[in-house]
Amino acid sequence: MSAQPTHGGGSQGARTTTNGGSAGAMPMSMPQHRPNDSTVNVSNGAQSGGMSQQNLNGIVLEYLSKKGYNRTEAMLRMESANQDVDGRPIQTRVEDSGGVKYGKAFDLFRNWIEENLEIYKPDLRRLLWPVFVYSFLDLVSQWFPRESKNFFNNYREIFENEHEHDLRALQAVALPEHVDSSGIAKIYYSQRYRVTLSQTAFYNLIGFLESKEKEGGAVLVSLIQKQLNVCTVERTADEQFSLAKLIERARRPDDYPAEDEGIPGHNPGSANVTQGAGTSVLTRLKLGQMTLDQESRQDVLGELQNEDKIHPPGPGQSSLAEAFEQRIKREESEDVPGRTELPPRPPPIARDVAMEAQKVKENRDRFQISGRTGGVGPGVSVTMFTLHNTNDSVTCLDFSGDYRLIAAGFDLHYIRVWSIDGSPLPGPPGLDGQDSRPTASHRLFGHSGPVYNVSFAPATASTDKQGITYCRYLLSCSADKSVRLWSLESWACVVVYKGHDGPVWDVTWGPHGHYFLTGSLDRTARLWSTDRVDYLRLFVGHDRDVDHVCFHPNSAYVFTGSCDKMVRMWLVTNGYPVRMFTGHASNITALACSPDGKILASADDSGTIILWDLAPGKLLKRMRGHGKGGIWSLTWSVESTVLVSGGADGTVRVWDVQLPNDANGQGKVIGEGGAGQKLEPSVSNVSGAGGKKKAKEVMVTSDQISAFPTKKSPVYKVMFTQQNLVLAGGAFLP
Amino acid sequence: MSVWNPDNIKDVAESLGIASLNDDVLQGLSSDIEYRLSQVLEESLKFMRHSKRATLSTQDVAQALRVLDVEPLYGYESTRPLRFGEASIGPGQPIFYVEDEEIDFEKLINAPLPKVPREITLTAHFLAVDGNQPTIPHNPTVADSRSQELVPKGPGANLHSTAINGADNITVKPLVKHLLSKELQLYFSNACSAVFDENTDEYRTAALTSIRTDPGLHQLIPYFVQFIAEKVTHNLKNLFILTQTLQLTSALLDNKNLYLDPYVSSLIPPVLTCLIGRHLGSSANPLSSFSLRNTAATLLGSICKKYAKSSHTLKPRLARTCLKHFLDPTKPLATNYGGIIGLQAVGGTEAVRVLILPNAKDYETLLREPLEDEGSSKQAEAEAVLTALVSALQTLEDDTFGLRNNVQNGETANLEQQLQEKVGTLLANRVLEMKRPKFVKALLETS
Repeated sequence: MSAQPTHGGGSQGARTTTNGGSAGAMPMSMPQHRPNDSTVNVSNGAQSGGMSQQNLNGIVLEYLSKKGYNRTEAMLRMESANQDVDGRPIQTRVEDSGGVKYGKAFDLFRNWIEENLEIYKPDLRRLLWPVFVYSFLDLVSQWFPRESKNFFNNYREIFENEHEHDLRALQAVALPEHVDSSGIAKIYYSQRYRVTLSQTAFYNLIGFLESKEKEGGAVLVSLIQKQLNVCTVERTADEQFSLAKLIERARRPDDYPAEDEGIPGHNPGSANVTQGAGTSVLTRLKLGQMTLDQESRQDVLGELQNEDKIHPPGPGQSSLAEAFEQRIKREESEDVPGRTELPPRPPPIARDVAMEAQKVKENRDRFQISGRTGGVGPGVSVTMFTLHNTNDSVTCLDFSGDYRLIAAGFDLHYIRVWSIDGSPLPGPPGLDGQDSRPTASHRLFGHSGPVYNVSFAPATASTDKQGITYCRYLLSCSADKSVRLWSLESWACVVVYKGHDGPVWDVTWGPHGHYFLTGSLDRTARLWSTDRVDYLRLFVGHDRDVDHVCFHPNSAYVFTGSCDKMVRMWLVTNGYPVRMFTGHASNITALACSPDGKILASADDSGTIILWDLAPGKLLKRMRGHGKGGIWSLTWSVESTVLVSGGADGTVRVWDVQLPNDANGQGKVIGEGGAGQKLEPSVSNVSGAGGKKKAKEVMVTSDQISAFPTKKSPVYKVMFTQQNLVLAGGAFLP
Repeated sequence: MSVWNPDNIKDVAESLGIASLNDDVLQGLSSDIEYRLSQVLEESLKFMRHSKRATLSTQDVAQALRVLDVEPLYGYESTRPLRFGEASIGPGQPIFYVEDEEIDFEKLINAPLPKVPREITLTAHFLAVDGNQPTIPHNPTVADSRSQELVPKGPGANLHSTAINGADNITVKPLVKHLLSKELQLYFSNACSAVFDENTDEYRTAALTSIRTDPGLHQLIPYFVQFIAEKVTHNLKNLFILTQTLQLTSALLDNKNLYLDPYVSSLIPPVLTCLIGRHLGSSANPLSSFSLRNTAATLLGSICKKYAKSSHTLKPRLARTCLKHFLDPTKPLATNYGGIIGLQAVGGTEAVRVLILPNAKDYETLLREPLEDEGSSKQAEAEAVLTALVSALQTLEDDTFGLRNNVQNGETANLEQQLQEKVGTLLANRVLEMKRPKFVKALLETS
């Protein structure tokens, strides 16, 4: 706090006589008011002759006009215009006006953008936020407390929609020391903010900045040079910047950050942040399913053939063995990661074979969700499990893969497991080998902080009585920085995994058990295997907490979502990032990868779900409809055609993945928006911002198939079963 | 300018022995405090979010402080959201404080243990079946969810899906009309006219018997139900038609092949009208309607018995209606009569004990005046009501058993007084006249 360098203030201070020096020497002294006018001394010196000079000018001008020396008069007028009444030179260059300069420059910039051509507006508007942030931070670090506050309050509402969280964090930054310690300021200062403009818009911008150099252009230029990374794109080179796309974007009521905009400054989709030749080339992904090895495939096939004999397939049904063969054939044709690209797995045991067989069976007997027919989405059935009398202490829910158990984590440090159908659960085996009294639910105690997620080990329903494929383990993560593995047979904690240096926000099992993934406040995600107490991989790169994690179904990749609004994809074997997705305007609250491994769905606080096409690293579409407050869970149908989400607004919503949601608006004429704007350009912009916000809040995109409200119960978890029914879980909060 | 009041800092500085703080320092400190506070809040919000709550708790703040490497504040642990009181130190200057009640330690120790909080329970229901939300009590009604945005809106909204999801307000008319075969139509018109045939008894009985037994009438139920309702509303003066309508209703109810559950709610209003209608039949002879009311009561009783299971609010609702009409002094006596016998039919002895007996004394005052009015029709009516009351009360006697006939002569006077206190003089006299000590005893012992 004490050794506070006055950042850019140095250059400013040099001109302002002794003030700069004293500020540097007494950092604790208060924000002095720097003279806005840097030439006070000069003018003081010249004051004595001021009056007479002014008079002289008047006399000479009078003389010249009398004599008709018009051109000489004009020249004199022009040359003396820079002086005020007292003969002091008038400030013309905005950059010399101290703290106010940023406000003036920003005003100028904004007005220019709003009066620009409709088609460039969306592009150029993207520049406003970074210019705002860097102006503000510069103001603070140059110690203009009043100006910085005014600046912030004047313009904050423009960004309220998209950058609510950042604004809140920035708001408190008031002193230069804060700039050094605040997380958000560090993030913005340590990296350049990347914005992509179409080339024409960029030329337009340069022209503007040059022409308005004195009125504030210079301030903007220095900001853009220092902190921004403006990329230009040929309109023809990238279809995202094609004329049609630009027009469409200009017409849309709401705007989102582009896929490559923001702090990490990466090429769209790519996780590569360095600039240079070839960096925009994306790593090739292998998104195919993990295949079984030859031996276990035979085992599974044998199992299925047995099953076929006992329960011969009904009419019109394929036999299980056939279904299995078909699946293998389909899997092999896909882009399957090789053995070396996958984390090793323990050799399969009877349980794995039985699970595999059961999966094939459930898959064959599932409720088929085909694509939409005649404009109507498929009808999905949802069973809702509601917890009562929780007093809002439930933090998370999970259903086991065998559909027998439901677990809830609580604020009050414990976990509780119920059987889904209300049947009694066997207690832990006693000393004499006898099962103790069965109870309706079990509490698991051990954590010393709120439990933030629970996850059942992969399991499937079982046809035999012993339940070989039933779920046996549960993982939980907590604010006490630990992850615990619980046995569901002895109802006790088996292993404590320590390693994270902060509350662990999320934990999830790998698709085949054995491995699990955690994300924490310490900004890392870690991969663990159950048989080791140390983590195996560390995924580092997020600027803030890793809030949510998720596995790719072939377990070669993992995804992490963070409150730096980014989703990243990592390769498990070497821990390298392979994709990076920006586009969310709020904290990520849920992630789910489609079973076919090609699409990732991510949801955020503001009620938006984004689908990402993994292979090209592109945004597929945004789906809106949920209210504010977080979409807590996402789940995919077996065919990867339908997505179901549940969230804090107490609704379960069903989405069509394949239908593009702006398709219907394509045919509209673009004239309306343009004409409306032209009538009252400046006024409509101000009021438009408020109206826009409201319109955005109620928007439900057309690809929502249906929405099912609950009775005052936020939905914490949704899960598609292998047979395409949805389980939803929530707590009733009257 | 700053949210944090610099006076606070001054106070703290003074308490530390720093008498005068520079104003600039104050400003700097207060904005620094604001910054630190917002850091803590920012961090606490994370914990709130991950707990999937919408209210910040003290626990979140404690966790945040721990993460920021600050010792958490102890003593503020609370599982409930804190309640803030508001006090004013001047116009427009509210101060908020945590309400901290003073608790008397003695009282706390001696107070009974607080109630055990309710156990957390798990329930399951269908939120959606094949894409439609079933209308069951577990799901919100359409009115509840209207405020939420459930249907695609905006430029790209797909009209098909909205209409088919049924979430919009367009009422979709069924494309297929309800087809009724010629035979059924003929049957319906003939049956209806036969039931109301005043001249031939045979026709009526034949029609009713047919309706009572025919297995193929299901399609006609809605028509019959509507027909009954119409007949009753339009023929309140015609006792014959009303009686026949009741017969028709009872015939329908008796038919074992019909599934009437969904129609019970529409069948009840006509029956109730026959039971407690203000003026039924010609107004010249009010007593004439009493037999109709009796029939209606019997019918209501049988409906209750049969359908109370499928609709658990049915019985209370009926009982409430009957009670209301029994105790309403502004209604004619005939209506009160209907209320009494209706209550008895619907609720049985239980209703008599709980609803009629306690009200008998008060009600009796109503009867006095008309009873004394010799020879008028009012008197006859009142007499009938009194008889109905007594017979209703008499059911209590059958209900109590194990009582011996052991009333001594000396106690009679005493008993009489007690009885009068309980049910009023009129009724007490009536009861005593019957000379059934067991009955008297039963009345007295029922509290």
